[in-house]
Amino acid sequence: MLGRRRFLKTAALGVSALAVDAAAPARAAVSMPEELGRQHAGDPAVLVDLTRCVGCGSCVAACKIEHDLPWRDDQPALGREAALASSNLSVVRTATAEGRTRSVKMQCMHCLDPACASACFVRALEKTDEGPIVYNGDRCVGCRYCLVACPFGVPTFEWDETFGRVQKCDLCWSRTSAGRPAACTSACPTGAATFGFRGELLAEAWRRIDADDRYVRHVYGETEVGGTSWMYVSDVPFEALGFATDLPDEPLPDYTWEITRLIPPVAVGLGAALITLWRRRMRVLAEREGGGEP
Amino acid sequence: MSVPTTSVRPVRARWGLRMTPFRIILLAVAGLTVGIVAYRLIVGLGAPTNLTDRWPWALWTWWKLTGVALAGAGYSTAVVVHFLGRNRWRDVERGAFLTSLLGYLMVCAALILDLGQWYNAWRPLVHWGYHSVMFELYWCIGGYTVVQLVEFLYIFEERVRVPASMRRVLERIYAPLMIVGAMLPIFHQSALCSLYVLAKGRLDPLWWSQLLPLFAILTSFYVGPSVVAVENHVSARSYPRRVDMGVLGEMVLMSAVVMALYLGLRIGDYVVRGVLPELFGTALGMVALAELVLGVAVPMVLFMVPRARASRPWLLTAAALTIGGVALNRFNIVLVGMTASTGEGFYVPYWMEAVFVLGLAAAVILAYLFVVENFAVLPLEERASPAAQDSAARDPTRVIVPRATSSTCPEGDRG
Repeated sequence: MLGRRRFLKTAALGVSALAVDAAAPARAAVSMPEELGRQHAGDPAVLVDLTRCVGCGSCVAACKIEHDLPWRDDQPALGREAALASSNLSVVRTATAEGRTRSVKMQCMHCLDPACASACFVRALEKTDEGPIVYNGDRCVGCRYCLVACPFGVPTFEWDETFGRVQKCDLCWSRTSAGRPAACTSACPTGAATFGFRGELLAEAWRRIDADDRYVRHVYGETEVGGTSWMYVSDVPFEALGFATDLPDEPLPDYTWEITRLIPPVAVGLGAALITLWRRRMRVLAEREGGGEP
Repeated sequence: MSVPTTSVRPVRARWGLRMTPFRIILLAVAGLTVGIVAYRLIVGLGAPTNLTDRWPWALWTWWKLTGVALAGAGYSTAVVVHFLGRNRWRDVERGAFLTSLLGYLMVCAALILDLGQWYNAWRPLVHWGYHSVMFELYWCIGGYTVVQLVEFLYIFEERVRVPASMRRVLERIYAPLMIVGAMLPIFHQSALCSLYVLAKGRLDPLWWSQLLPLFAILTSFYVGPSVVAVENHVSARSYPRRVDMGVLGEMVLMSAVVMALYLGLRIGDYVVRGVLPELFGTALGMVALAELVLGVAVPMVLFMVPRARASRPWLLTAAALTIGGVALNRFNIVLVGMTASTGEGFYVPYWMEAVFVLGLAAAVILAYLFVVENFAVLPLEERASPAAQDSAARDPTRVIVPRATSSTCPEGDRG
């Protein structure tokens, strides 16, 4: 993301109206998945092996306990209807494809370059230096742009609250920031969800795929939208299980950044053009007045 | 915004709003909407809408995008008058400005009511998420609405006595106000559609494009003259105002040029991205095709034919098609193009959501009527109403004319 550096430079050159927040984090220099993967190799991450999941739901129970969330009949967290919702930061959805039934754990993917955080105009959603994307509900205005922006449809909104907020998995930030694994991974009895460092887990994912040709030769999350901290391996094609598979390898914020980074130079150019036109018109009008126009 | 001229007078001599059955209906709809707003503020967003996690933005977002685009009539007219120097257009400028101001106030109200924690609406002033398009949108729409409210003071103070110090300030800030007022809309018009650039992979490729911001600027610019044409004719039914077909013809011709550019870019963008074949044969392709043919190509041709744009019915038909085309474009971006990725089927709004949209529109129309009846906005026919003449006779000179622009409007233009 060389563009961001250029932006900082442009801003420093005196476009004070668009001055950059002093707290602006230094952004990654390159956005391609391999580069991002190298930079985030030490981030806390999770590898989910769909061939090992038995669909017991222990992870969901652990999540609800950890975040003090209710079980709601209208928001199923297990089974075929399971979907992320304001009371479900994590669900296990049952999906059948090609005659095989699999249980798919779903939660925030914790993108390496997240669209939700780039969409958030108050920095309520932010990617921590360590990796997990956390949410500050007190600051959130509730515009729901993050819901539109997320390529995985992860953030959810509290539709039945007077003052609705967003809900999203924070990779158990209170635990992971202290070096402990996420609650859901600790609760997994079959080893379907493995907590660790992203670089090591990615290598482990490929070791498993290479060792057994029943696996699909793809690690979901390795390159999708620049890579994610949650990664999946499976023996059933991901698309058939309902994963979003037509995603670009470029991080989505790059697409917007190509536009927003143009703002300071365009503002200066446009302002200069308008001032010039205005002055010229005033001169024309003054001449006309001097020329005896009624 | 303009400096007033001698033939611009308020319709009424006394404060008030004439009531007709239609206006009473508008008032009733607006009243019902106040009730819906109260309900929404008490119970949150879930009950009065059909919004879900899959459909986080729907009808209201479409209405905001459309409202701001149509309100572009104000800035596009102002740019042409004050920066490109088409003085003839001044006749229509105040009406366009008022349409724009009210449109923005409506959108601001809708924006705030659409926020989950609306009391946090001030936060972007402090916490700068500058990488978000929404950040640009927030500052520019907010800023432009403030600019327009200040601009309205030039009209307001013709009727209501204000302190002399305030008049001096207004004279001083006239030029910077006009320049900022031309710049901000260009930014946020683009930002409104740039919001969906981030939805790559979710928004159908027929509407997703890296060029969305450019498309948004062009559409909001070329729709302006059509909005002005409709506004002129509709207000002429209620008030003895002048409608200058010559100026309107000139305006829509400019529209047609921008429309041609837009159409070329849309098609070129389809070709470059390899989406062109999808335009033919698929259901979504038909919708996109209808948008481009009926909403852009047909009115563009009509605007280009001298006899068509000189004829009232043809001009208005083309203007209506243009406005409908822009509204359909925003509809396709927010609703049609997003449907497949939601996995929930097409969005059907709850009745309260729909009434809310109608209520905002009713409030805008009522506010427009009140302002044109009580302030000098419309260029009246020379054979003006007695009320207008009365007002003119009583107070012919209380106008603010910034020195620099004192002769911007040669009386010769007015016949």
